[in-house]
Formats: sequence, C-alpha cells, structure tokens
Amino acid sequence: MEFFDNELSTLMPAEGRVEAIAKVTGKGKYAAEYTVPGVCYAVLVTSSIPAGTIKAIQVDKAKRATGVIDILYHQNKPVVPGFADETKIRESRVGLPVFYTDKIYFKGQPIALVVAESLEEATYAASLITADYTAEVFNVDFVKTHPSIPLKAAGKERGTVDEWSNAIHIVEAEYTIKEEVHNPMEMHATIAEWVGDNKVKLYEKTQGVNSVQRVISGLFSIPRENVEVISEFVGGGFGSGLRVWSNTLMAVMASLQVKRPVKLMLTRPQMFSLVGYRPESWQKIKLGADSSGKFSGMIHQAKHTTSVFENFNENITRIARLVYDFKNLKTESAIVPLNLGTPTWMRGPGDCTGDFAIESAIDELSYKLNEDPIALRLKNIALKNDPESGKPWSTHFIDECLEQGATKINWKNRKQTPGQVTEGDWQIGYGMAIGMWTSGRTQASASIVLDKSGTIIVRTAMTDIGTGTGTAMQNLAHESLGMPKNKIKVELGNSNLPPAPSQGGSTGLASLGGAVMDAATLLKQKLATYAAAINAQYKDAAAADILLSENGISYKQANAQFISYADLWKKVDEPTIEAEATSAPGEERQQFAFCSSAAHFCIVRVHSKTGKVKVDRMVCVADGGKIINEKPAANQVSGAAVGGIGMALMEEQQADVKFGSLLGNDLAGYHFAVNADAPIIEVSFIDKPDPNINQMGSKGLGEVGIIGCAAAIANAIYNATGKRLRNLPITPDKVLLG
Amino acid sequence: MNEQTLSRRFFLKVSGAFVALAAVPSTVHAFYQDVKSFLVPPKETLPTTLTINKQPYKVTADTRSTLLDLLREELQLTGTKKGCDHGQCGACTVHVDGQRVLSCLTLTAMLPGKTVTTIEGLADGEKLHPMQQAFIECDGFQCGYCTPGQIMSAVACVNEGHTKSVAEIKEFMSGNLCRCGAYNGIVEAIQKVAK
Repeated sequence: MEFFDNELSTLMPAEGRVEAIAKVTGKGKYAAEYTVPGVCYAVLVTSSIPAGTIKAIQVDKAKRATGVIDILYHQNKPVVPGFADETKIRESRVGLPVFYTDKIYFKGQPIALVVAESLEEATYAASLITADYTAEVFNVDFVKTHPSIPLKAAGKERGTVDEWSNAIHIVEAEYTIKEEVHNPMEMHATIAEWVGDNKVKLYEKTQGVNSVQRVISGLFSIPRENVEVISEFVGGGFGSGLRVWSNTLMAVMASLQVKRPVKLMLTRPQMFSLVGYRPESWQKIKLGADSSGKFSGMIHQAKHTTSVFENFNENITRIARLVYDFKNLKTESAIVPLNLGTPTWMRGPGDCTGDFAIESAIDELSYKLNEDPIALRLKNIALKNDPESGKPWSTHFIDECLEQGATKINWKNRKQTPGQVTEGDWQIGYGMAIGMWTSGRTQASASIVLDKSGTIIVRTAMTDIGTGTGTAMQNLAHESLGMPKNKIKVELGNSNLPPAPSQGGSTGLASLGGAVMDAATLLKQKLATYAAAINAQYKDAAAADILLSENGISYKQANAQFISYADLWKKVDEPTIEAEATSAPGEERQQFAFCSSAAHFCIVRVHSKTGKVKVDRMVCVADGGKIINEKPAANQVSGAAVGGIGMALMEEQQADVKFGSLLGNDLAGYHFAVNADAPIIEVSFIDKPDPNINQMGSKGLGEVGIIGCAAAIANAIYNATGKRLRNLPITPDKVLLG
Repeated sequence: MNEQTLSRRFFLKVSGAFVALAAVPSTVHAFYQDVKSFLVPPKETLPTTLTINKQPYKVTADTRSTLLDLLREELQLTGTKKGCDHGQCGACTVHVDGQRVLSCLTLTAMLPGKTVTTIEGLADGEKLHPMQQAFIECDGFQCGYCTPGQIMSAVACVNEGHTKSVAEIKEFMSGNLCRCGAYNGIVEAIQKVAK
C-alpha cells in the first residue's frame, strides 16, 4: 500500500493526516508486512554470557528440526567484504561485526541465526542451539566503575573557576539517571532479498533509507544504487532507527546465504540489547550566583556508559553552553565502557540528560535566593546571542514560552515555600523547567510531479516516523501550488526517491520543507513555459503568480487567464511534468545561530504514605518557528512530554551485576508511561516564523517537547514535598526515603 | 548372634538388591536422555475452522502458531500488529466473539468455531467505523503501529461502557501502549464516539 491511499482518498477528512486511512484500517505496510514470494524466516540465538569467546556452537540438533534451511554463525556465513579484516571492520563503523568475530562483548549478543520455512519452525530450532564459551571477567556496574574513569575537558573553558569560587550563593549536587530504552512499538525488522548477484532490496524499519543504503553498499561492496531500501511506514524510532544495527546486516547476510528473501524481526527482549538505549549517567553541577541572582559561573561534569567495543559520547554537557549566559563555565565529561550493547541517540540525546541536572540545580538555587524560578531564569537566559558562538539568535522566544506557560497553569497560585498545599494524604506542588535544542538543517531533495489525471505527487526519500512529514509535504505543496489537498499525493520512505537525510535530531521538516517549496516553484515555472505557447501572458510570469487548481492553471488570481490541463498537455511531449529541487543551509548559518525551545510547567500530587507521584497537569509551550501542521505538531510535543513523564517517574533499565543480564527485558520489566500515567497534555506554540532558517520559517520540534519535562516534574515534587530528588526515575521508594 | 548374622546377611542382600535396582534405571534413564536429545519432535499441524472478518476460514496451522502469527504470516492480515508477543502491549488486540483478546496469547488451535474480527474487518466496505473516523479527526496516533490495537480496544471500551470520565477511559485503555504518547487524541476519539 502506498503512503497515500488512492482508493479511499476522497473519504479523508480535510484535517486528517495524509496517511491516516492507511493507519486506521491496518492497510499501511510496515517493514515486516510486505508480501514477498518465497520469503523464509530468521530467528536469532544470542549469547548467554556477557564476556568471553565462543569455543563451539552445537547446531546439529537444530538442523534436524522441521523446516530449517540453514544456520548462520561465525563458522558458517557469507562473504562480507566490509568485514574482511580488522582494519576494514574498524573503518565500516557499524559497531558489532556480527558473525565475523568469536568474541562476546555483552549478554544477548547474536551468535547464530536460524533460517527456516516458517516463524514457528525457526523459533523452535533456535531453542535447540547451545554454545560452549570461554568466559572472561565482565563489568556492567556503572555506579561502581565511573569514579575510576577520569573526566576530560568537554569544550573550551569560559572564564575561570577562580573568578566565582567565593560566590554568595552556591548549589553543588550530583544527579544520576538510569538507562532508558527507546522501545518503539514496532520492533526492528527487515525483509532482505538479493535480486541478482550484486543487487539487494530491503524492506526496513529505519529512520533513514539513504543511510541504510550507504552502509549496506559499503559493507557488501556493491554500488549504492543497487541497494533499494523501502520504509514507507515506520512504527516509531525515537533514535533507535538512526543507525544500522546487526539485525539488518544479519538479514542481508542470510538472504545472500540461502538465496531467498529472509524476514527477520527482533523479539521485544532483543530490542533491549541490540538497538541502542539512552546510557545511564552521572552528573555533578556546581552553580554560583551573586546576591542579585545573576549566575556567576557553573561547573558541569558528566559521565555515561558506552560498550566495550565502541565509543559513544552523547555530549551531556552541550546544553550547559546553550541556554544561559555563563561568563564562567567549565564542562567536563567521560564515557565508561561496560559489557552492554552500544548506546545511541534517544529523543533529546545528551541535552535531555544535561538539562535535568542544570534545571534542577537552578530550581534549588531559586529557593536559596527565595526568588521565583521563572524570574531567576529570565535574568540569566542568553536571549539575544548564542553564548557559545556569540552569533545572534535568528529567533528565540523562550521568554514568551515562559510567560504563556505561567499564565496557562496559573503559576501565581504556586506557593514559594514547599509542602504548603495538601489534599488528604496528597501533597501538591508546581514545577517548571525549560529546554532548548539547536535547530539544524541539512541538505534534502524533493520532487513534484503533475500527471495527466491532474494529480500532484510530492516525493522524497525521507521517512515519516509518525512526525507528520508526509502531511507537511502535502500542506506545503498545497500552499505553494494552490492545488486542493485531495489532489496531492505523497510518496516517501524509498531510496529510489530524491535523497534526503534521516528523520532525526528535529531536522526533518526544517531540511525537507525548503526542497518541497523550491520544487513547487520550479514546477510552476515549467508549467508557465508550456502555457506561454497557448497564452503569451504567461511568458514572463513569476512562479508566485501561477496558481494550480483541479482542472488547470491560472495567472495572478484564480480563474484569470485559465488554461485547462487538457489544453496544456497538448503542448507537452512527456508523460508527466516533473520538477526536482535540493535545498541546503547556506550563508545564514554564518550570520545567525538557530534554536528551538520549550517551557514545561506541571502540577503534581505526591502521596505522603505510598510515595506515588501523579502528574495532574502538564503544560508545554514550544517555539518551533512557523507550525506547518498544528495537530500533528501538538501531538508530537504532547507525546514527547509523555516520554518525559516516563523518564521522570518510571523508565529504568538495570543490569544484574552478578550475571550481566538486563533486568528490564520486556515491557513488564521495563515500564514507560501508559495512558493512565499521563494527564491530557496541554500544548501550545509561539508559532512565529524564523525568517532566516528556511523558506517556511519552521524550526525543529521533536526534541524540545521532552527536554525540560523531567526536571519540571522533579521540581514540582520538591515544591509539593520539600524533598529534592536528584536520581531518575523518581520511583515511590525514592520519594519515601527522600 | 544368629539374629545378628541373619540381620547382617539380610542387610547385605537387601542393600545389594537396591544397588542393582538403582543401577538399572539410571542406565535406562541416561539412555532415554540420549535418545531424547537426539530426537527432535517434528512439526505438527491441526486443521481449524474459524470465521475471520465474516469470512469462513479452514486453516491447517502449526500447533505452535498463535492467532497473531496466523493472521500476519499466513493470511496476510497484517493490520494486527506484533509489539511484544508477550501480552504486554496490546498492539495485537482483536475481537474474539465480540470480546477484546490479545491475539499473541491465543493459539490458533484454541479457536475452532470462533468468530474473529480484526482491524481489517471493522469498516463497512469503504465506510469507516466511527472509531476509525474519530481516530483520524482527533489525530489519535503518530507512527500508527499501535493504532489497530488501540482502535479494537477503544471499540470494546465503548461497548463495555467504560467511558464515563477521562480517568476511566485512561484506565481501561492502559493495556494498549503507545510509545509516541498519542494518548491525548486516543482519549478524545473515544469520548467522541461514546457520546
């Protein structure tokens, strides 16, 4: 099924998403759901020890099970040129050279892959495989290990520590956050099919088809255009789909080996160890202020986990350099290798973690100063210039976010002294925090096609992971061309379409939107050229003066100098009229700094006997520049806040230090927020276009919805109870013992 | 003395017999274990007749096959989603004889004579079910992967009458996880249909 449903399109309510019908009818095809003739099923066998070497793998019994076609492991695998030797493996930068090593780096590492005729057969056969190992000493204990790993400077020091070491007000504290796991609802899956000797087709769960294409073509030494990647519907990502993980490589290897299409969908437990996570972290903040509440300096130190086979640094202290005007700032960090899978970017990577510590410390300072935390922030926010580069912000409306949010939640009802408001056994408090994210933009391409039926098709390789990219493309094409929305189709998530970056880092729409608008201009110019052969008025027509309707084009205003498509097509030899454009950031990046921001406000109630925390209200006001689709944008931000509630109160992955296993191994052992854990999230936007970032004035939104959320909740818990809780998640035991 | 001798003899005989008896079964047991480890039970299938989305189906499914895998892998009804395969997320929710059921915890072999409705069977031809329409209008999803399960649960939630307040809807929809966090729209859609 196409992203946009042809047959049912006329039934679609105007306010719905472009792909809405496909999603509510179950017709949209996610990676593992395409019908591919001759497909066989792959199921993983993973290591039962966290460190060591594989001595032998017993596959004989599994081979005798019904339906088994082949079993891949380190002694039975196809040639992968990119894994030919140690140097090539390092250069490939894919992390785990799956089946090209007998080393075990973490528990749950793939050691064999059973390929069988059916899923049940492959699953049963996988259960019959055993392995002998030479076990080695392992370490999964972040808390015990990190003190021995030295900190290193993270960025250039501003000013000196000496200058403020005797500041009147000092807050100094440590903060920890447990590991969190992305867990998109769709488990990572691939159907891989080699079509010919050096051509492969992948139906893949990914946030970026071109990135999968690049990695697979590199590893298997085939031209990039010979790798076709299709990801039309993607069941969430939150960062886990930004990398190409071992499951994709194994599916491609298995298909090469058995010469048939192979489907591999990870199980939920495998999602916890194989496709990344937000690393467990430790932070220390020392924040100083003078008697007027002006920050005199900060030291921000951070450490987080990585794997023993790959260095991942998510730059937790980056946000210290972004939000507030620190004349004196020292940031240091370190990564701590453990026998776990490699972590990766998860929604608001780095900033989300760093922001929790900084915004908690500022809240603590506000009580020391007996000053309203909003006023304290406004005094110190770098509102005019990016404190790091010194460049002026192109636009920055965090002050307005604060003002609007405070009004919406009735901040004036908050008591400055904690523990003042109770309702039976419940203690009630207000909290707030802010978050920021640099608004990036990268090169992206899109094309717009007019076909003979009078339908517009907007195309890009970019994926839509639920963010509303497809709907935004339709909206932008509608605004630029004038064509009614039900005549505009969208095709995306396919590497054969105009190339685009991965959907991630809040850059999707900011990057792609310009390309769609440029393609619309080019298309109108092309149409004007054809139209000029019929009506000379069109000869020097500017693209802005051309309007498309269901039946034809007009000049300057609707119906003026109208030319029907039927007449127009008589002048065209091609089967379609097509325009493709590529847009990229330019000079404006030299002149300006760009950011998105959001302010989170909440009211929580804390049960004094059980320690249960309930978020009663959550208000988020965000500045993402011009909002293209209000409903999906608000949905994205409210969803991010739901993620923030999980981060603050329940999401917690732990490793068993004795056996190296993950305790959160499924959705019963690892909790994220369910419907009843979240209130109705109240979202609003500043909705002012940024005149410099791109043609639409849209900045990113995906990250800022979560960044300040956890700190706002922790700060509200303090306001309710007088307990300053600095270790996430804030589970009831921590509230009671706090 | 005699008694003692007899007694000793008796003891030796009896204990000898026990040793012998113990030795035989342990060998047999080991042999049985050897055979068992060599033998791999073959796949078994079971014919089952059931109704799915008003269509009669006669399937010969692997006895290990869940309803979820039958739908997705055998019948190409991929609207029902696999989110955990453990009954922990609700993405695979379907209706069996009108009740919401987790298809990942339901073996096909348990279903002879049963009536199954999946997301594909909810609309009346091209006319969407009011809940599907409400999910579109309220933007009750983002990535859409949990959506079929949410909608099947939402329809049941309304039928069960658990829609008296936002809190009640949230409670009775908490078996359906949404990692995008589109809970605002889900609740709004249910309120709309429940009216």
